[in-house]
Amino acid sequence: MTFEKIIFYLFATILVLAAVRVITSRNPVHSALFLVLAFFSSSALWILIEAEFLAITLVLVYVGAVMVLFLFVVMMLNINVDVMREGFIKYLPIGVAVAIISAIEMGIVITGNFSGDKSPALVRKGADYSNTEAIGQVLYTEYLFAFEVAAVLLLVAIVAAISLTMRKRPNTRSQNPSSQVIVKKEDRLRVVKMDAEGKGS
Amino acid sequence: MNNEMAVIEMPNLALVMPEMFLLGMTCVLLVLDLFLNDRNRIITYLLAQLTLFGAVVITFSQMGGEAVTGFSGSFVRDSMGDILKIFIYVVTAIVFLYSRQYLQLRNMFRGEYYALGLFGVLGMMIMVSAHSFLTVYLGLELLSLSLYSMVALNRDSEASTEAAMKYFVLGAMASGMLLYGMSMIYGITGSLDIKEVGSYIANNGANNIILSFGLVFVVVGLAFKLGAVPFHMWVPDIYQGAQTPVTLYLGAAPKIAAFAMVMRLLVDGMEALYVDWQQMLTIMAVLSLALGNVVAIAQTNIKRMLAYSTISHVGFLLLGIIAAGPDGYSASMFYVLIYALMSTGAFGMIILLSRAGFEADTLDDFKGLNERSKWYAFIMLLIMFSMAGVPPTVGFFAKLWVLEAVLNVDMVWLAAVAVLFSVIGAYYYIRIVKLMYFDKAEDNSVIVADVDLKVVVSANGILMLVLGLFPGMLMAVCQQVLA
Amino acid sequence: MITLADYLVVGAILFCLSLAGIFLNRKNVIILLMSIELMLLAVNMNFVAFSAFNQDIAGQVFVFFILTVAAAEAAIGLAILVVLYRSKQSINVDDMDSMKG
Repeated sequence: MTFEKIIFYLFATILVLAAVRVITSRNPVHSALFLVLAFFSSSALWILIEAEFLAITLVLVYVGAVMVLFLFVVMMLNINVDVMREGFIKYLPIGVAVAIISAIEMGIVITGNFSGDKSPALVRKGADYSNTEAIGQVLYTEYLFAFEVAAVLLLVAIVAAISLTMRKRPNTRSQNPSSQVIVKKEDRLRVVKMDAEGKGS
Repeated sequence: MNNEMAVIEMPNLALVMPEMFLLGMTCVLLVLDLFLNDRNRIITYLLAQLTLFGAVVITFSQMGGEAVTGFSGSFVRDSMGDILKIFIYVVTAIVFLYSRQYLQLRNMFRGEYYALGLFGVLGMMIMVSAHSFLTVYLGLELLSLSLYSMVALNRDSEASTEAAMKYFVLGAMASGMLLYGMSMIYGITGSLDIKEVGSYIANNGANNIILSFGLVFVVVGLAFKLGAVPFHMWVPDIYQGAQTPVTLYLGAAPKIAAFAMVMRLLVDGMEALYVDWQQMLTIMAVLSLALGNVVAIAQTNIKRMLAYSTISHVGFLLLGIIAAGPDGYSASMFYVLIYALMSTGAFGMIILLSRAGFEADTLDDFKGLNERSKWYAFIMLLIMFSMAGVPPTVGFFAKLWVLEAVLNVDMVWLAAVAVLFSVIGAYYYIRIVKLMYFDKAEDNSVIVADVDLKVVVSANGILMLVLGLFPGMLMAVCQQVLA
Repeated sequence: MITLADYLVVGAILFCLSLAGIFLNRKNVIILLMSIELMLLAVNMNFVAFSAFNQDIAGQVFVFFILTVAAAEAAIGLAILVVLYRSKQSINVDDMDSMKG
């Protein structure tokens, strides 16, 4: 077993265990954190086969943005963790059995066709090869159309997320700094001239 | 740094003129809508209609000629795509027209409905013109994301948000399946370009187990998106839970796009695997026909009933693709175009009968429609007859041609099953006709609606009859573009 | 040597786990959304592996777009979840039963 292979199995094991915990964990916060772990381990796996750009993007975009959003929502919603898993145990054995069997079946199909000699050899690129450059070269040329569509997709996400969650609350009290600053003494204070009080009251 | 300069091909922008126009106008609409108050909101609506009209004009002016690919093979402009796109615009324009009054009456008349609707149209256009797995996926997601959020747009309704959540989870799962299948096929063929995938499979033999493995996931993903049994469970809940204008939107034009997706992936990309996908589609088609038609009988909510009816129509749509060859594909294409028009008509009638605070979405709301208005009862009768496939409406010819294509490839039993379940299915369409003509009305209020809605619903119903009397023209177009 | 099969098997295991997560989970919609992220990760694993072993950059570009779409999808999914929670005060899957037929 080569050193590479040991590293691969180490991260693959962490990845699979983290994925198991994502779907079985009691507390959604734990699930989210295990998902972060899963992303980190797959990023390590990708670096092993020289897909550095995506490995870094995965950590930046997923762990940095998407998972933070997940955690934010989990914590914003007040979820009762105790009732979370009641029904889960009932289906767990059969579910796990089905998952394991189908994974084994898929594994057999895959190993039968891609392992050993049937696997294309991994060609290591030299130190002067840049994965980021290779992606960048095609991203804005060959995949220009897809790139533009992805931009529209993000725009749709913005429009949808805002229109779904933004609420105008007519009753909220808020400060308007500009009107606070430009207010004049005459607007707020009225000096009333009155006669002095009579004596003896 | 690389010393050699890569030669960059300048993309042919004229090819994507309709897409660029639609996107540009939608962005204008988004910005303009911010400056409108609720009284002037009608401008947004008119701009959306103008956008669709402009898109029709541009696509129409580009029509004809050979298929042209562009953007390094990401995009293809061909006659089938042009016809499908024009129908998508027209159907969506009808949908917007039907929805206007409904949304205004319920204080739901917001720019987002139109903006997301137009983004969805853009997604459909990209699906229709996709020439690589990547573009298929991005177009599909653009459409799906717009649809999820449109369903949730009525955010104070429990049913709508619940429907949106179900739709989202199942839709995202379906996309995942589709992608998993695509990844396997990419791994074997080494290409994302649909044409290259097609020629690789044709040249290197279709006996590769990994290819079939990938194909299974692709077909499952497609079946989810089409709503074919056994991957149909989201359809009834979403049809019922979403607001009628949204159901109207997602029941019509996206079916045309889904048909295009099936054509691009299975027919253009994997026709060499025909034997494999034909078997899977056959099972799904039979189950869809059976379940859709039988379960629809038990429904009391007309939106839910139409959802099951959609499932059965998807079964018919698949029959044409199973029959394969130009005949089968053109019959399927004809079917999906007619289905989109019928479906808009049926939901248009529901909107016509609804008013503020009253949805008209149960079967009982159609009781005695004949007493209330002879004309609209007649229009609904035409639409229902067309859905059931009663001559001389166009639905009859749509079914007839699909069956003919199936018989031509000697799958008699399949045609027999289809006919049997169509006859069973006819029961629940005819039941509505019976409710309209022979039952007493429970509610005798006069149908109040704006002129445009009345005129277009009527035209939509009459169209079913007119196309039924002269079905040859549209069919000839379908045959021509798929020849 | 690491083979292509190693990566694909990891992908297949992740894919099955995510499916199990979707079907087993009856209680919490957030876990469903996370399972979907896991499923996309499985797909990405496949694409990256094929891309690296077949010496074809297209697969990695596809992953780049899947990541983009997944981020947009997560944003919309969570927005729908927040709206759902506001209207139902619960994100329990078993409570999503207002429509039957």
